Amino acid sequence: MKAVSGTVVAVDVGGTFTDVCVLHHESGVLEVAKVASTPDPIDGVLAAVAQTGVELRDVALFCHGTTVATNALITRRLPSAAMVTTRGFRDVIEIRRGTRDDLWDAYADNAAPYIRRRDRLEVPERIDYAGTVVEELDEDAARDVARVLGRRGVEAVAVCFVNAYANPAHEQRMEEILREALPEVAISTSSGVLPELFEHERFSTTVANAVLSPLVSGYVSELERRLQADGYQGDLLILHSGGGVMTPEAVDKLAVRLAASGIAAGAVACRYTAEQCGYPNAIGLDMGGTSTDISLVHDGELRMTNEWYVEYGYPICFPSIEVLTIGAGGGSLATIDGAGSLRNGPQSAGSTPGPACYGAGGTQPTNTDANLVLGRLGRQLAGGGMTLEPSAAERAIRDEVAEPLGLSVPAAASAIIKVANANMADAVRLISLQRGYDPREFVLVVFGGAGSLHGVELARELSIPTVVVPPRPGAWSALGCLMVDIRHDLSTMFLTRADAADPEALEAAFAELEREGRRLLAAEGVTDDRVVLERSIAMRYLGQWRSMQVTVEAPVADLSAATEAFHREHEREFSYRRDDAPVELYRLQLRAIGRTDDVRMPRQEPQPGAALPRPTATRPVWFDGYDAPQETPVYERAALPAGVQFVGPAVIDQLDTTTLVPPGVLVETDEWLNLRMHITEGS
Amino acid sequence: MSAHQTDSTLDPVTFEVLKNSFVTLVDEMAEQILRTCHSFVIFARDFSCALCDAEGNTIMQGSQDIAVHVGTLHLKAKAVLEDFAGDINEGDVFAVNDPYRGGTHFSDVSIVRPIFSDGTLIALAQANGHWADMGGSTPGSFDVSATDHFGEGVRIPPVRIVDRGVVREDVIALVASNTRAPGAIVGDCHAQVEATRIAEQEVFRLIDKYGNATVVTAFGEVQDYVERLTRARIAGLPDGVWETEDHIDADPAAPEGLVAVRVRMTIAGDEIHYDLSGSDPAIASFLNAGAGVAFSGAIASAKTFMPDIPLNSGFYRAIHVDVGPQGTVVNAGWPIAVTGCVSGAYEKIMNAGFELWSQLMPERAMACCFNLEYLLVGGRDARSDERPFFMWYDWMAGGWGGRNGKDGQNATSPVFGVGLAVQPLEGQERLTPVLTTSHEILPDSGGPGRHRGGCGVRKGGTVTAVEDTVMSYCCDRSRAVAWGIMGGLPSLPHGVWLNRGREGERFLGANFSNVAVVPGDSFERPSAGGGGFGDPLERDPAEVLEDVADGYVTVRRAERDYGVIIQEVDVELCEYRVEEEATERARAQQRAERGGWLAEDPEQVARRFRNGELDTFDLVRHYGVILDWGTGELLPRTTVQYRALLRRRSAAHWREA
Repeated sequence: MKAVSGTVVAVDVGGTFTDVCVLHHESGVLEVAKVASTPDPIDGVLAAVAQTGVELRDVALFCHGTTVATNALITRRLPSAAMVTTRGFRDVIEIRRGTRDDLWDAYADNAAPYIRRRDRLEVPERIDYAGTVVEELDEDAARDVARVLGRRGVEAVAVCFVNAYANPAHEQRMEEILREALPEVAISTSSGVLPELFEHERFSTTVANAVLSPLVSGYVSELERRLQADGYQGDLLILHSGGGVMTPEAVDKLAVRLAASGIAAGAVACRYTAEQCGYPNAIGLDMGGTSTDISLVHDGELRMTNEWYVEYGYPICFPSIEVLTIGAGGGSLATIDGAGSLRNGPQSAGSTPGPACYGAGGTQPTNTDANLVLGRLGRQLAGGGMTLEPSAAERAIRDEVAEPLGLSVPAAASAIIKVANANMADAVRLISLQRGYDPREFVLVVFGGAGSLHGVELARELSIPTVVVPPRPGAWSALGCLMVDIRHDLSTMFLTRADAADPEALEAAFAELEREGRRLLAAEGVTDDRVVLERSIAMRYLGQWRSMQVTVEAPVADLSAATEAFHREHEREFSYRRDDAPVELYRLQLRAIGRTDDVRMPRQEPQPGAALPRPTATRPVWFDGYDAPQETPVYERAALPAGVQFVGPAVIDQLDTTTLVPPGVLVETDEWLNLRMHITEGS
Repeated sequence: MSAHQTDSTLDPVTFEVLKNSFVTLVDEMAEQILRTCHSFVIFARDFSCALCDAEGNTIMQGSQDIAVHVGTLHLKAKAVLEDFAGDINEGDVFAVNDPYRGGTHFSDVSIVRPIFSDGTLIALAQANGHWADMGGSTPGSFDVSATDHFGEGVRIPPVRIVDRGVVREDVIALVASNTRAPGAIVGDCHAQVEATRIAEQEVFRLIDKYGNATVVTAFGEVQDYVERLTRARIAGLPDGVWETEDHIDADPAAPEGLVAVRVRMTIAGDEIHYDLSGSDPAIASFLNAGAGVAFSGAIASAKTFMPDIPLNSGFYRAIHVDVGPQGTVVNAGWPIAVTGCVSGAYEKIMNAGFELWSQLMPERAMACCFNLEYLLVGGRDARSDERPFFMWYDWMAGGWGGRNGKDGQNATSPVFGVGLAVQPLEGQERLTPVLTTSHEILPDSGGPGRHRGGCGVRKGGTVTAVEDTVMSYCCDRSRAVAWGIMGGLPSLPHGVWLNRGREGERFLGANFSNVAVVPGDSFERPSAGGGGFGDPLERDPAEVLEDVADGYVTVRRAERDYGVIIQEVDVELCEYRVEEEATERARAQQRAERGGWLAEDPEQVARRFRNGELDTFDLVRHYGVILDWGTGELLPRTTVQYRALLRRRSAAHWREA
C-alpha cells in the first residue's frame, strides 16, 4: 500500500446520479462533478471522472462507493444460484422468522427468497449444538447434488448447514465436493461467511453473498480493468457497508459486504466533517429529492447495526453503518388525508413530473414548491441551469392544502415544511433519543441537495445547537469513500458466563481471529506498521436475548473491566443496570484495520474580521414565527472567505444547494470552508 | 370531507407533530423491551405497548403490536384506574394480567405507569408482555385440560409494584415465586417497568415543549382523528347485515360436534356493530375467550380490512362489539379457563370476520388462515448433572388464505400476531434437549383454489437427553379445517403425531396436555396452509405447473385438486409439462362428479380412507368427511356440519359442467 499524495478520486454511484470528488493534495483544490448514472455504472464513473478533467494516470488513489449490490438485490437481477442445505431445512430461508413487514395489510407481501425453492437442494448430514456429528455427511448424495447443479448450470452456490457455526467440517467437505465438480462456480459457505448462531440469519447472509458474488466480483474486476486501461496505476478501494474499504480480492470472498456501500458513503462523510470541526457527536442528514438518510456519530464513531436488509425478512448480518432512510425529500408530496390532516411524504413527485414548480405537469405540492413560495429557494437552480415557476407552486399549494385547511398560501407552505421537518425530527429521535443519546449534545451535519434548506429549523425542533454545512453539500457523500481505512470484521461465537470464562481459551480465540485478520491485510499489501486490531465482546445479562458490544484491550487479563463497561453501556442505553445479575459473553469480534493515509482537505487560513462580501441580491423570505416576509440578503457561497461571521437572515446560494439562515442565527465560515450556524436562545 | 379544524382546537401542524410523537414514543418503549427482555416469548415479539389517557382510553398503540392485544390494553388500564381510584400517586407502577378484567390470558402481564403533570394524572404508559411461565399445573402455563383458572396460572388483579418510587420487591416476589422461571420474570418485569419510564420521559419532553394543555388536548384529538377516519371509511361501505359462523373442533365434555362462534355484523351509516351473542356455551377446555379477547378479535378483523387507519380508542367509538352474556365460548367469565383463547375463540372471531369483510370488500377478500398453534415440551434437561428445568415452547408459521387475484402468503406468522417471530432452532437446541429434525414447507398444504392458499410448514423433532418430560399442545382446526371461500378448498387438519411411522405411533390430536415422552421419541406436526380462493378447476394450469416445479404442490394433488395432469420431463432440471387434453378431460370429469362426492355415504368414505384408497386431503377437500385422524373412526355429527360449511363456502360457487 503506497502512501497517498497527489490526486485522489472518490466516486459514489447512486441510483440517479454519479458523484465524483477530486482532491488535489498539492494545490489543495477540491473539484466535484455530477453526471447521470448509466445502465453500465462504469460508463458513468468514467464519464464523471472525465468531466473533472483529471487524467487517471495522475491519480494516486481511487475510492469507490457503489449501489451495484444494493440495486441488484432490489431489482432481483441476480445470477442463477442454488443452495445446498441439511436435509429437512431447505425452507429455512423461506419460512424466515415468519413475520411480515406490514402487520395489518394482508395484501402486502414479503418478497420471495433470493433462491427459488426448486433451487434449494438437500443432503443428509447433521451436527448438533455442541458441534458433535449426529449424522455423517452422505458424500454420495453430496456428489449427486453437485452433478445436478452442474446440469442446471448455476453460477453460484450457498452451502448452509444447521449448526455449522459450531463445526464447519461438513460445510467445508461439501464445498470441496462442489469445487471438484464445478470449478467455475462461486461457492459461499455459511461457516465461511458468518460463523454465528441462528440459522435464518446466517443462511440469509450467506445466500445474499452467493447471489451477489459473481455479479459484484465481476463489476469490481471490470472497473479495475477499465481504470487500468485508462492509465490508473494505484489501488482500487471499495467502500463496504461497515464504513471501511475493501480491495477487489476481499470483495471476491465477501461480496455481501458491499450491500450498503453507496448508503455508507454519506454517513462516513458526516463523521469526517464532525471530526474536522472538532465535534465528537454529530447527526448526519443527507436529504435528496425523494429520501433522507440519517446517521449518527457518537464519540467519533458511527452507529453500527448487525441487522441490515434490502428487503424485509432477509437480513444481512454484518456490521453495517446504521442509516435510517425515510421518505422525506425535496420532492415529497404534501396531501390532506381522509380525516383532514396534513401529511408529507413518503410519496414523492420523483423526477417526472417533479415538483409543480418544475413546470413539467406536477399538480401536487412538494417541499420544493413550499420552499419556493416562501422565498427560501430562488427561482434559479443549479446556477441558472433551471428556472422554477412560482405560480405553479402557488397554485398547487392553494388548491391542495391552503383552501382545504382554510389557510393562506404562505401559511400552508409553512405548514408543509413544518410537517416535513417534524417527520425528519421523529426519525432523528428514533436513532438518537431511542438509543439513549440526547440530541442537545450533537451537531447536525446537513448535505444532499435539500438538507441545508431545512437544517436550522430541524435543529431547533430537536434542540440541536449547531448546524454544519460542508463546502460541497451536493456531492459530499462521495467524499466519504476517501475517508476510511481498510477494514475486516471477524467474529466467533463464545458463549459462556463471564464469571466462568476461561481466560486462556478467550485469549486463544481472539488470537485466532487476529491471525486471520493479519493474514487478510497482508494479502492486500498492508504493511505491519499500518495494521490496527481492535477487539470487542458482545455481552448480555444472562437470560437476555440481545447483546451489546463492549470494546476490550488485548490481552484480556480479566473480564471485570469488560463486565463493568457492559453494565455502564447498558445503563446508558437502557437507563438501568443489574449489578447482581450474571453477565454472559456471547460473541468475540475483531476489527482488523489497515490504515490508509489521511486525506487532507483544502484549508484556508481564516482572516480575523474577514469582510462579508456584498449580497448578490435581496429577496423577501418567509421565516418561521414572522407575520410577514423579511427582506433577506442573498450571498454567493464561493464568495464567503474563511473566518467571516454574520447574523441571519440570509440565503446562501451555490451550484449544488441553497442554505437558509433564519433571523438571529450566527453564521461563521471555518478554515475548511464549512458553514457553521449557531442557534442561540431567541434566534 | 371536513377539514381538520372543524372540530379541533390544535393547529394542523402541532397536531400532526404530536400524533407522530406519540407513535414514536410507543415504538421507543417497544424497542427498549425487545433489547432488554429475558422471556424468549417476548423476544419473539409477543408484547405490546400503549399510551393511554387519564381515563384509560388508548391514545396510541405500537405499530408492531400483536393483534390479540389490540383492544385489550385500554381495558387493563381502566381496571387499574378503577381499583386504585383516589390512590394513584406519582412514582407508582402497577401490574395486571386479569383476563376477566379485559386481559388476554395469564401469561400476558401489563405494567402500567401513571404519568403526572403538575400533580394531575394525565396519562398511563403501558407495556404488556408474554412471560414465559405463570405457574399453574403445566410448564409454560398452558394446561389444555384446565376447565377453570386455578390450574392455569397466577391471576394478577391490578396490584401496585412500585409505590411512590419504591419498588415493592415483596409483591414482585409473590408473583415470581409462583412461576417456574422466577429469574426471567423479574428480568422482564424490570424491562417493562423501564420501558414505561421511557414513555413518561417522552411525555415530559413534549409537555416542556408544547405545554401541558396542548399535549393533553392532543391526547383527545388523536382519538377524534382516528374516529373521523374510521367513520369516513365505514360511511363509504353499504349498510346491511352480514353473518357467519366459524368453529372450534369440539367440546371435550360433550359428544363430538363443532362448537360455533357466531359473528353478526351490522353496518349502519358510519358505525359498525358486531354481535357475538349467538355463540355456543363455554366448553370444557381452555379455548374459551374472555370478553376482552372477543372484543379484540372483532376489532382486529375490521382493522385487517382498514390497515392504514391507526389504532386507538377512537377506532372503538365507531366499531361496537356486543360479546353477549357471560358463559359462552366468547365471553367465558370467571373462573372458566381461557388461556388457550388465542388458538380457540379468538382465531374464530378473526376468521369469521375475514369472511364477512371479504363480501363487503371483495378487493381485499381472503380465505381462512392457519390457526395459531404451540407445542410445549417441558421437563428436566439431563445433559447436565444439575438436571435443570427446561421448556421447549414452539410455535410455527403457516399459510394465509388465498386472495382475490393472488395466492395466499406462504409460511407467515399467525393472524393472532403477525409480529410473532418463529424461533431459531439453533437457539432452541442450545437451551433444550430437543433436536429439530425438519422445518420445511409442507407440500399440498395450501388450500386449492383459483388462487391457492399459502403453504403451511412441517416441523419434526426428537427428544434427546430428557427426564420427567411431558408434551402439551395448544391448537385447533383438526376438524374445523382452515376453509376456502368463493369455491376454494380447505387446507389440512392440524394435529401432532408421536413416533410417526415407527413403533409406538400415536396421533395425539390438536389439543392435549401432559403426554409423557422419553429419550428417542420423535414427533411431528403440520401447520395448515390457508384456504383457497375461487374454484381450483379454474386455476391457470401454468401456475399449477410452477407450483409443481417448486414442490408447493405434488404431481398427484395437481391432478386430484386442480384436475391438471402433469408429466415429468426432467425432474433433475425441474422440468414438467402440462398434458393439456388430459387436463381438460380430467377437469370436465371432476366438474361432473364432485357434487356427488359430498353426498357419498360417510361410512363408506371412512372405510376407503382406512384401506388406503383415499387420503386425508381427499376427505377434507372433496368428500367433506371428518374422522378421528388417529383411529380412522367417523365423526358423523361433525361430518354433517362440515359438509354444510363446505357446500356453502365452496360447492355453491362452482360452475358446474
